[in-house]
Amino acid sequence: MVEPSDGTVVRRVREGDVESFRILVTRYRRQYGRYAAALTGDADSAADAMQEAFIRAWESLDSCRDPDRFGSWFFRILTNQCHTARGRRRDTDDVDALEIAARERTDESLERAELAQALAAALGRLTGEQREAFVLKHVDGRSYEEMAVLLGTGVDALKMRVHRARDALRTMMGALR
Amino acid sequence: MMDAFDDRLDEAARALAERLPELDASLDDRIMARIRERAVDSPQLSVDSKPVNRRLSTVDWFLKPQPVRVRPVWLGLALAAVLVLLLVPRGSRTATPTAAVATADTVYVRFQVAAPAARNVAVAGSFNGWDAATLPLRRVADGSWEATIALPVGEHRYQFVVDGQRWIPDPSAQAQVDDGFGGTNSVIVVGPKGVVRS
Repeated sequence: MVEPSDGTVVRRVREGDVESFRILVTRYRRQYGRYAAALTGDADSAADAMQEAFIRAWESLDSCRDPDRFGSWFFRILTNQCHTARGRRRDTDDVDALEIAARERTDESLERAELAQALAAALGRLTGEQREAFVLKHVDGRSYEEMAVLLGTGVDALKMRVHRARDALRTMMGALR
Repeated sequence: MMDAFDDRLDEAARALAERLPELDASLDDRIMARIRERAVDSPQLSVDSKPVNRRLSTVDWFLKPQPVRVRPVWLGLALAAVLVLLLVPRGSRTATPTAAVATADTVYVRFQVAAPAARNVAVAGSFNGWDAATLPLRRVADGSWEATIALPVGEHRYQFVVDGQRWIPDPSAQAQVDDGFGGTNSVIVVGPKGVVRS
């Protein structure tokens, strides 16, 4: 069965078919869920950000100028929500303790889980733009061309953001050397 | 040039990717339940209301575009009057949006908020897809920030975004609504003649 396009679904919802919105919810929860988890730092915050983003998208669906590109429009709403969720979480979590723990370990004792944990903690210290660029490129495995469409930014600028993110991570995670 | 750190960083990224959770499919049900609630509560929320047809008053004649012939000199004076209306400074440091009529169904609304320590401030809301990047406020001398934005007639929800990260409701908006996540959205209602309620 062929799934309806984003544009078809958006037009249905605008005409009053609220239930069709579920098609978009399922589609983009699957596509962007891991990105949201990487950006926020945990699954609960990612689920909250995803839910808030879909509610905001539904409320402002009339301002989605190109319904066929709902995905990239929604991606920007989601990204903003993830940064907000990360900010709230940072207020309550002891992120610094995670970073210190990672720094004190030697190369030999760094298991893959600890590597992942150290990176997750360090990502929280990047700027929002650097974090989303690094996650899309190296965690989500997207091409620069895909990233350019999603973020509405040129390929060269994105390469620079990733480069700067890596430099910042080098400073923060020097113990990985 | 790649070095040992780059290799370790790439390995860390792969390790993180392997451990990232998929968001559970039950989330779709929760989201749809919230959407249905909102669809019942405010079915007109995303639909901007149209201006009511009525006889034009004298004030309306000056505020609304009319199909009249004017000499260029009068057109220039009229444009200058509109600019004065938009740019005249207001005394308040609070964020109450002020408005001037732009077209029949669009109204210029001035957003203002005091945030002396902020590096940048933007307004994001239902009128721009909650995009924190497209409607920046500009800093004015007294530590407050402001922007004049053309809004369609209707009800809108919004927040200010400070330094690209911190979302805050408008402290002086008269109507605030729970955003469902412990946060608050401010509400502004724009009528054909200006801000009805903010």
